[in-house]
Amino acid sequence: MIKSLIDGPLWYFSLAVFCIGVLWQLARIVFTAGKTDLSVARGSAGSGAWRNIFTRFLPRKEIAPQIGIQIVAGYMFHLGLFALLFFAAPHVLFLEEHILGFGWTAMPHWAFIVASQFAFLGLIILWLRRMLNSVGRLISTLDDHIAAILTFIVMLTGCFALLKGFSELRLLHRFTVELLLIYFPFSCLMHAFTFIPSRAFTGAWFGRRGIDA
Amino acid sequence: MIHRESDVRIPTLLLLMCMLFLQFQVHAADPPPPPGMVSTVPGAELWRKVRQRDGKSTDGISQVKGVDAGILINTQGDRWARFRINKLSPYGSIALAVVFLVIVLFFVLRGKIGIDGGLSGRMVHRFSDYERIVHWTLAIVFIFLAITGLILLLGRPLLIPLLGKEAFSLLASAGKEGHNLFGPIFLISLLMMLFSFVRRNIYEKGDLTWLLKGGGFIGEGHVSGGFFNMGEKTWYWIVILIGLLISISGLVLVMPNFGQSRIIMEISHVLHVLGAVVLIAVSIGHMYLGSFGTEGTAEGMKTGYVDINWVEAHHDRWAKECHEKNLVISAEEYARILGKKAESGELLATEQEQGK
Amino acid sequence: MARMKFYCDAERCVECNACVTACKNEHEIPWGVNRRRVVTIKDGEQGERSLSVACMHCSDAPCAVVCPVDCFYTTSDGIVLHDKDICIGCGYCFYACPFGAPQFPESSAFSSRGKMDKCTFCAGGPEQDHSSEETRKYGRNRLSEGKLPLCAEMCSTKALLAGDADVLSDIYRKRVINRGASAFNWGVNFNNSKLQG
Repeated sequence: MIKSLIDGPLWYFSLAVFCIGVLWQLARIVFTAGKTDLSVARGSAGSGAWRNIFTRFLPRKEIAPQIGIQIVAGYMFHLGLFALLFFAAPHVLFLEEHILGFGWTAMPHWAFIVASQFAFLGLIILWLRRMLNSVGRLISTLDDHIAAILTFIVMLTGCFALLKGFSELRLLHRFTVELLLIYFPFSCLMHAFTFIPSRAFTGAWFGRRGIDA
Repeated sequence: MIHRESDVRIPTLLLLMCMLFLQFQVHAADPPPPPGMVSTVPGAELWRKVRQRDGKSTDGISQVKGVDAGILINTQGDRWARFRINKLSPYGSIALAVVFLVIVLFFVLRGKIGIDGGLSGRMVHRFSDYERIVHWTLAIVFIFLAITGLILLLGRPLLIPLLGKEAFSLLASAGKEGHNLFGPIFLISLLMMLFSFVRRNIYEKGDLTWLLKGGGFIGEGHVSGGFFNMGEKTWYWIVILIGLLISISGLVLVMPNFGQSRIIMEISHVLHVLGAVVLIAVSIGHMYLGSFGTEGTAEGMKTGYVDINWVEAHHDRWAKECHEKNLVISAEEYARILGKKAESGELLATEQEQGK
Repeated sequence: MARMKFYCDAERCVECNACVTACKNEHEIPWGVNRRRVVTIKDGEQGERSLSVACMHCSDAPCAVVCPVDCFYTTSDGIVLHDKDICIGCGYCFYACPFGAPQFPESSAFSSRGKMDKCTFCAGGPEQDHSSEETRKYGRNRLSEGKLPLCAEMCSTKALLAGDADVLSDIYRKRVINRGASAFNWGVNFNNSKLQG
C-alpha cells in the first residue's frame, strides 16, 4: 500500500509541485517589475552582469580569511552533491528510466562514494558553522535549518539504501526525496535556480552605474 | 575443518589414513619399488599439507582468480569467528555497560562538580569557531559510527530477538552502508582535530602533579592545570591514536578491492573492534564530564567562551595568563557578542527576523 | 535422515575444471563469482594433487556462527543455505570460512560487495521450489527434482562425489581397499588387485 503510494501518486504529486512551484517562483521574479532605471548609463549593464556571475564564485579578498572554512566546505558540499546527484549510477539509471528517457556515463562506485563523503562533510561543517558562529546563528531562519536538515536526511537515506536489494530502504530514500521536492520551491533551496539570475541582476545594476565590483 | 559429531566421513577417513600409513610402513621394510612406481599413500602427506599441520600455509594454484583462491583450508577463520562471537561481542558490551554504570554511580555519589563561588558571568574566549566546528564534526561522525558499529557487533544477540531477522537486516544493511561511507569522513575530521589542537595538548611540567592527585576525582578541591589539564590532554591523545588505529584498520576492511588476504582482514577487524570499544567507553566519560558532569564546561564548546571562575577552578595556570593579558570580558560584552540583551538574554535580532 | 556431503578424491581429480564450468553454466552465475574451484597442490612437482572445493556444508558452520544478521540455516538434509534477502554483504562469512566458499559479485572500494553467493548443493534457497525468484537468486534446484549436484554428476573421473555421507564413505572405502590391494601387488592397477571391493 505504502509502496504503491510512494512509487506512484506521491511521486507524481511531488514532481508536479516541484515543477509548477519552481516555474511559478521564477515567473514571479521575472514579472515583478522594478522601477525603470532613468539614470544615464555610465557603463555596460551586460558586461557587469557577466562579470558578476563569475567573480562571485570567489569570496572578496577582504573577508576571505574569515570565511575560509565556509568557502571550502561550501564547494565540497555543492560539487559533491552535483556529482552524486547527476553522475551516480543509480541516479543516472533513474533519470533515464523515469524522467528523461536517455542516460549518460555514470561515475564508478568509488567516485560516487567519495563525492558523497565530500558532500556529507561539507554539509555537516556548513550547518555547524551556522549553529556555532554567533552571527551565523542570528541570521539563520527556521527555513535555513529545515532546508539543511532535510537535505542531510535525503542524503543519509540514500546512503542507507546503497546496497541494492532492500526495497524498503529504497522507498525511504524516495519518500524523503519527495518531501524535499515538495519543500523545494517554497524555501531557500530555490537558490539552485536563482543564484545566477540574482548575480546577473546585481551585476547589471552595478555595471550600469559603472561600479567595478 | 569443523568438528562434527554426526558426520561419519571424517572418522572413516582417519581410519583409512591410519590403515594406509600402516601399509606404508610394511611396504617400507620391503626392497625399493621398481622405477616409475609412485607412492600409493600420498593421502596422509597431502592432507597434512592442506591442513597446515606444519604451521606453514600451503599455497596451491587455482584457475579461479580470487583472494586466497589457492589456499584449500584456511585454519584461522574459524578461530576468528569464534573469538568474535564468544569474546569480542559479549565482553565488549559488558565493558560498555560497566563504564556506563560507573559513571551513573559516580554522578549519584559525587554529583555535579561545581565551582567554588559559582559562575561570575565574566568570560574568557576559549575555542574559536573553527575549533568548535572541528570538535562537533568529529563528535557527530563519531556518534553515528559508534551506533552503527554497535548495531553490527551486538545486533545479533540483542536486536534480532526484539526486531526479527527481516527488520534487523534492514537496520544492519543501512547501518553497514552508513558506517562504510562515514568512516573516511571520521578520518578527515580526526586529522583536522589533530592539526588544530595538537600544539596545546603536548604534555608539560605540571601535568604529573595532576595525575598524582588523581585529577581532582580523589579527595576535595581542584587540581592545577594549564589551558588543557592532564586529563584533557590524555583524552586528546587517546582520540588521536586510537582514532588513527580504528581509521586505518577500517580502511583495510572497507577496501577489499586491493585483495588483502583473509588473515589481514581478521586482524584488522579485531583491532578495529577493540579500539572502538575503548574509544566509546572513554567517550562516554568525556560526554558526561563535558555536559552535566561539571558546571560551566559545555559553554566552551557551545559559544566558545568560558566563565573566568571555571577557568580559575580547573585551569589556574591559564587563568593567570588570562588576567595578565587582560582577556577577561564583562557579562555585557559577552551578551553583545552573542547578540543578546544583557539582562533578559533575548535575541536582538528577533524583531528584524519577524519583520522580514 | 540423509546427510549430504561432497567428497573429492585427490587420487582421481585431473584438474579439468569441468565441475567449475558446469556449476557456472547450470546456475547462470555472474562474472567473478565461482561457487566451486579446483586447487592444485605442488603443481608441476612430484606428488601433485588437485582437489575440487566448494562449500562443504559444515555441521557447525563458521559462516553461520559469525554472520551478524544470522542469514544461514541448515536444511534437514544437512545442507547449509543462506537467505539473500537477509544478507547485508559484509564479507564476514568469507573471512570465517575454511574453504573460501562465500563469493561476492563485486569487490570495489567502500566494501560494496553485493549479496553473498555460494554453493547451494544444487538445493536452491528459502523461496518456493522452482520459483523464478529462487532460480534468479540461487540458481537451479536439482535436489528437489531428485538429482544430485551437477558438478559431481558430470565429473568424468568420478573424483568428485556428492550425496549421502554413508553412501560416499562406502564408495570411498572400496576405492581405498582396492588401491591398498594394488599396492601390495606392486602396481596401481585395478585389474591386478585381488581384493576388489
